[in-house]
Amino acid sequence: MTRILLILLALLALTLPASAERLISSLSTETVQITSSFDGERMTFFGTVAPEAGSEKKFVEGPFHVVVVILGPRQDRVARKKTNNFGIWLNTEQVEFAGFPSYFHVLSSARLREITDVNTLTTNYILPESHAISPNPAGWWQTLTFGHELIRLMSEQGLFGVQENGVQFLSEGFYQAQLTLPSNAPPGPYIAQTYVFKNGEVIARKSDGFAVRKIDFERFLALSATQYPLLYGLACVVLALFTGWLGGVLFRR
Amino acid sequence: MQIYLPIAELSVNLFFLVGIGGAVGFLSGLFGVGGGFLLTPLLIFLGVPTAVAVASVTGQVVAASTSGALSHYRRGGVDLHLAMYLVLSGVLGAFGGVAAFDLLRDAGQLDLIISLGFLVLLGFVGVLMLQESVRALLKRRQGIVVRERLPNQHSWIHGLPLRVRFKKSRLYISVLPVLLIGLFIGFVGSLLGIGGGFIMVPALVYLLRVPGSVVIGTSLAQVVAMMAATTVLHAVQSQSVDILLAFCLMVGGVAGAQFGAAAGKHLRGEQLRGLLALLVLAVAIRFGLSLVLTPDDIFSMAVTSLAP
Repeated sequence: MTRILLILLALLALTLPASAERLISSLSTETVQITSSFDGERMTFFGTVAPEAGSEKKFVEGPFHVVVVILGPRQDRVARKKTNNFGIWLNTEQVEFAGFPSYFHVLSSARLREITDVNTLTTNYILPESHAISPNPAGWWQTLTFGHELIRLMSEQGLFGVQENGVQFLSEGFYQAQLTLPSNAPPGPYIAQTYVFKNGEVIARKSDGFAVRKIDFERFLALSATQYPLLYGLACVVLALFTGWLGGVLFRR
Repeated sequence: MQIYLPIAELSVNLFFLVGIGGAVGFLSGLFGVGGGFLLTPLLIFLGVPTAVAVASVTGQVVAASTSGALSHYRRGGVDLHLAMYLVLSGVLGAFGGVAAFDLLRDAGQLDLIISLGFLVLLGFVGVLMLQESVRALLKRRQGIVVRERLPNQHSWIHGLPLRVRFKKSRLYISVLPVLLIGLFIGFVGSLLGIGGGFIMVPALVYLLRVPGSVVIGTSLAQVVAMMAATTVLHAVQSQSVDILLAFCLMVGGVAGAQFGAAAGKHLRGEQLRGLLALLVLAVAIRFGLSLVLTPDDIFSMAVTSLAP
């Protein structure tokens, strides 16, 4: 029994990277609150690379690179293409992307290609394109082109983006990154995945969650619209009739 | 000052929103139309999702038409009997319109059908109105007195069965064309997010020969009732009515409409109709061009559903 345990421990020790660093990270806002005056939110992600707990090292040796990937709630999205049919432009082709991130931003301390190779970036879903290459019944070529266009469209709306100087090191192991969440960022659970690279290898990673949530009046309205649609619709009509009537009374001379 | 719209899920400038509501309200008060045909395209242009724009404008049209309908009702300018027939068939049409709306949205052809619908409807009505008003203007210039009442000719429409007497309109006609007009306007109105006043008025005048004293009032009453029903239908079916967006538009619209109505008194009827015709045609041409010209971006995207 003890022998098996020993072997397991030895195996575990082998799989751990030689330099045992760990990442301590946090973020400035746990809940981004959408109020009626919500116009985006500035967030800070920060952390420090420290020696592994219990290791004999007292300090860490760089240089490190940090990549923070912020991922929004997943949605089913569709990308459509217009073609000219008999003089009229119609949506004729479309590719659906199930479970596509509604928000995706990468902040890094250097150019991604300089931090590591494309393969590592893709398998860790750090590149925007890596979200659009999952198997799709539309075929790989269609998926590739439509996925590329989808990412472009979402980048134009500020929902996708890569900032290759978004992470700043304040000391050898202490970093901070700033992100402005746009006002059209979809509400829901978000994940900030932080990777620490050294010599092109991931040596530590950690994920922190935060939520973007409608509160107060906005939350009340959105909930009513989905949970009591009939009452909500009737309320709209009553409001409209009242406003119309009031306008007539106020302005009548 | 920015305001976050909870259903459209985007933040827009409050004053801008009330402003376009007011501007469209002014035009709607000036011409006596609901203004939906201007607001819906404007909102889509602003970046509001098409579905939310159409559904929310429906609520705005209710508010914009209410004060007009009430003042016409006080003056006895509403044929409730006729309006009831129009509303009943209109609501039925609205059911169909909202269902078609959902189907088209899922198929990705909603924008196309909305553009085509606006083009065909507005183009057709605009040309008719322009013709009529130019003819009237020319006649006036030549010094010919324009007949206030339309000739009492009987067309084939008056030969249909199931006749009903509409006292206030002094009509004894078949209910079939009445129901058909209601059904059509209910369908088109809920699909395009317009009240349909600019189709209803000519239809009542030219097809049914409803006298001028009750045309506008009856049409407005019908728009209020039918658009109210459509708002509820949209809220239940597609859940895309943004009450905050609709309210901002209503406030601007109701205020603007009062000023528009006051300004309208300085213009003659056929001048007003001519201007409205030009406006309607401009919107139609704008939609026509969007179908024919090479789009800036041939790719577009949409959210089909939230993944669980």
